[in-house]
Amino acid sequence: MRKRLLSLIVLSIMLMSIQAWAAQGNKENGKTIYDKKCWWCHGENGAGDGPAAKFLNPPPRDLTAGWYKFKTTPFDEITPADEDIFRMISGGMNHISLWKGMSGTSMPNWDDVLKEQERWDIVAYIKSFSGLDKPAKGPIDYKNQIKSSKESIEKGKETFKKMCAECHGEEGRGDGTKKLKDDLGFRTWPRNLTKPWTFRVDNDPKEIYTRISNGIPGTQMPSFADPTSKKTLSDEERWNVANYIVSIADDVKRPKDDTVLKAMRLEGELPDKVDDPKWSEAESISFYMIPQIIAKERFFTPSLDSITAKAFYNGKEISILLEWDDRTKSIPGDEKAKEIAEGDVLEDSVAIQLPVTIPEEMEKPYFGMGDSARPVNIWQWKSGKKDASEAIKLLNANGFQKVEQRDAGKTGLRATGIYNNGTWRVVMKRQLSTEEKAKDIQFEEGRYTPIAFAAWDGSNGESGSKHVMTTWSWLLLKPATPKSTYFIPLIVVLVVFGGELLLARGQKK
Amino acid sequence: MKIPRLLLFVIIVVISYGIFKAPGILLNQPIPSSLIVMYMFFAVVTTLLWITSTEKDMQGLVGPIKTMIQDPTKKTLRNIVFVIVPLVAGGITYTQLKPSYEAPVELRSIHPAPPSTVKAFGKTFNLATLVNPYRKLEKEDPAKFTQLVKEGGEVYFKNCFYCHGDKLDGKGHYAHGFNPLPLAFTDIGTIAQLQESFVFWRISTGGPGLPKEAAPWVSAMPVWENFITEDEVWKVILFLYNYTGYAPRSWEK
Ligand code: HEC
Ligand code: HEC
Ligand code: HEC
Repeated sequence: MRKRLLSLIVLSIMLMSIQAWAAQGNKENGKTIYDKKCWWCHGENGAGDGPAAKFLNPPPRDLTAGWYKFKTTPFDEITPADEDIFRMISGGMNHISLWKGMSGTSMPNWDDVLKEQERWDIVAYIKSFSGLDKPAKGPIDYKNQIKSSKESIEKGKETFKKMCAECHGEEGRGDGTKKLKDDLGFRTWPRNLTKPWTFRVDNDPKEIYTRISNGIPGTQMPSFADPTSKKTLSDEERWNVANYIVSIADDVKRPKDDTVLKAMRLEGELPDKVDDPKWSEAESISFYMIPQIIAKERFFTPSLDSITAKAFYNGKEISILLEWDDRTKSIPGDEKAKEIAEGDVLEDSVAIQLPVTIPEEMEKPYFGMGDSARPVNIWQWKSGKKDASEAIKLLNANGFQKVEQRDAGKTGLRATGIYNNGTWRVVMKRQLSTEEKAKDIQFEEGRYTPIAFAAWDGSNGESGSKHVMTTWSWLLLKPATPKSTYFIPLIVVLVVFGGELLLARGQKK
Repeated sequence: MKIPRLLLFVIIVVISYGIFKAPGILLNQPIPSSLIVMYMFFAVVTTLLWITSTEKDMQGLVGPIKTMIQDPTKKTLRNIVFVIVPLVAGGITYTQLKPSYEAPVELRSIHPAPPSTVKAFGKTFNLATLVNPYRKLEKEDPAKFTQLVKEGGEVYFKNCFYCHGDKLDGKGHYAHGFNPLPLAFTDIGTIAQLQESFVFWRISTGGPGLPKEAAPWVSAMPVWENFITEDEVWKVILFLYNYTGYAPRSWEK
């Protein structure tokens, strides 16, 4: 026993000294790795000007500026702890499938390809870009943490409305009223706090408390612990707000693995307004949207990231509800929209793409607007301008160069949308079958039908080929479950039970 | 000590179920449920045959059940079992009958046979004889070669990393939006298996350049002849091999 204890102590001393030595980091080795792996974005001399930089928002960090956004040292200590830099390089705060780096950025996790020592070596090297030393003040502590409760969340909500809503929006979807730029003049979009999987770090109350207390250096996200600022919040208020943020996560909008949008059968009228209470009965499904980086003109700096859909159908029609978070309501000609837009204000827009003919086999039209052999229908809704109302367009495309605009009204296609606190909701409705059978999709119950989506944020310079999109998923007009599905199991229960009784009687004799 | 036969039977059945379920839970590659049902059927039958091979073991299996039914002191247990068994049977039937509405399974060939000639950049290339014009510099002029690799890297970090990843591991920051996923060049199953001429074909003509068996209509791989030059394609190929440390497959192998 003694011996074991002794060796344990020796081992931990060894480990600790390795750790201390590791924290030193070897600058030379750090540079070698940096020059192979990091300079492409952060630049040869760390100035954030690598070849990839032009195509990224947020841009790769300028490491010569010495600001680290996600640090644990207090607001009046600009130097981060070495552990902070180490943690952000390592990554692993995974929120999005596949992506384990900083969500919403191109900064990946490096813990899978670089050994722990190598990551410390890089820390030592990149600190030298800005001549950072050791921080004079240690990390903030969490000893007064307030556990989440209804009361704490309620109080946090009050504080949020007063202190955070101007940037993060009334309901936290990042739809504030201010145009924000970082210290280097790059456009920043305040985080949509209802989508924790897009957080750079995490939505643990401690992480959020850290961001609120220390601010996000280099951006307009301020520190709320600074007693000299007008925005000071007490320790208690900061914990309450953190608990509130955790509580507003909207998991419905988080894309999962499923790829089938199931339209439910309704008897009677289909909802054609976005706020019809019937929608709450429909199954919803969410998809990631990625920028169009496949065909000319490519688009690299999106502001939208996912879309949620629901659908109903009856004997005559189909009705699809699309819902997506957009920080800005973009109405060309509107003064308020202009203040916050990046460049000219264009219309917001959303589109559904469907094959003209439901494929019999696996072969579908090319996911990017069809191909010469297999055309697609595109239903595109536009939000309208100050002097023009919303509108729906019907397009038939055989590839993006061969697009024909058709009369939407003739097919009974209609659409209408409402913007509210950072979310667009749009309903599109059409008859299941139309007159021009060769040109329009004819919906059929029970058939797996390819479907894809696209959206445009007009305040982010998006129009034409510059937009976000999904590739093919599925739409299924889900048939009503046959009665036998419930009936047969019931019979099985009775038969098995009868068998048991017979068995028991037989045994007793 | 001999494990009671009934218990043994239950243990084996549970373990087999665990094994069939494991790929789905651990590797995210589930065995289709219809197959599992079939495997389980065989597992149950085989175990039963094995356990009941001797009369004594047969008794061990049936004995406890008999006692439960006949022994008046076990009445409560019997009643409970008699209620649970039919309900479980009903439940299983229901899950079997319930329509599932899972997405159709689609198979595509990842590395289809290449065409013999490829049209790109306004020319026709014969893939059988096509070589990377810069490959020979690796030995002849290492300094120039290093420079070309770096230029290839710049092409990569302006055009490809969104999908194929900063680490060439197929996990770019937009990769999660695509199905099929962008391929990982660090995997031994991609460029390490390919000749440079094949890679040249794939980059120049992208997803739409694929033959039917590779489902060109779903591949998000862009048609790069529309964006970069022939020269840049060869350079980015140098970079892909250099960064991952693989050598292109050559004719001799
Ligand atoms: C594909 C581009 C890319 C590559 C490659 C890359 N980074 Fe980054 N990195 C970024 C971006 C973009 C950000 C800024 C994120 C933000 O501001 O939210 C960033 C941020 C950072 C930060 C700041 C974290 C903080 O707390 O503020 C550090 C440190 C960093 N990177 C280090 C590295 C190191 C070390 C490597 C190489 C091992 C590397 N990066 C490779 C794109 C990249
Ligand atoms: C002046 C505008 C402004 C105000 C006020 C503001 N924020 Fe922010 N906030 C931002 C910006 C901009 C970002 C994104 C910074 C970046 O990463 O580039 C951000 C990011 C965040 C994040 C994201 C952290 C992560 O891991 O991604 C959280 C959480 C947050 N803010 C919470 C709050 C809370 C809570 C309040 C109120 C107490 C608040 N913010 C007030 C502008 C603001
Ligand atoms: C929009 C996302 C995207 C971009 C950008 C992209 N690719 Fe791809 N790439 C894919 C996908 C998806 C596949 C897998 C499907 C396929 O084989 O077509 C793929 C496949 C490939 C393959 C085939 C590998 C093999 O083993 O057969 C090569 C080579 C390739 N890409 C190279 C590149 C290069 C070089 C670039 C940049 C010039 C690039 N890709 C940019 C999505 C992309």
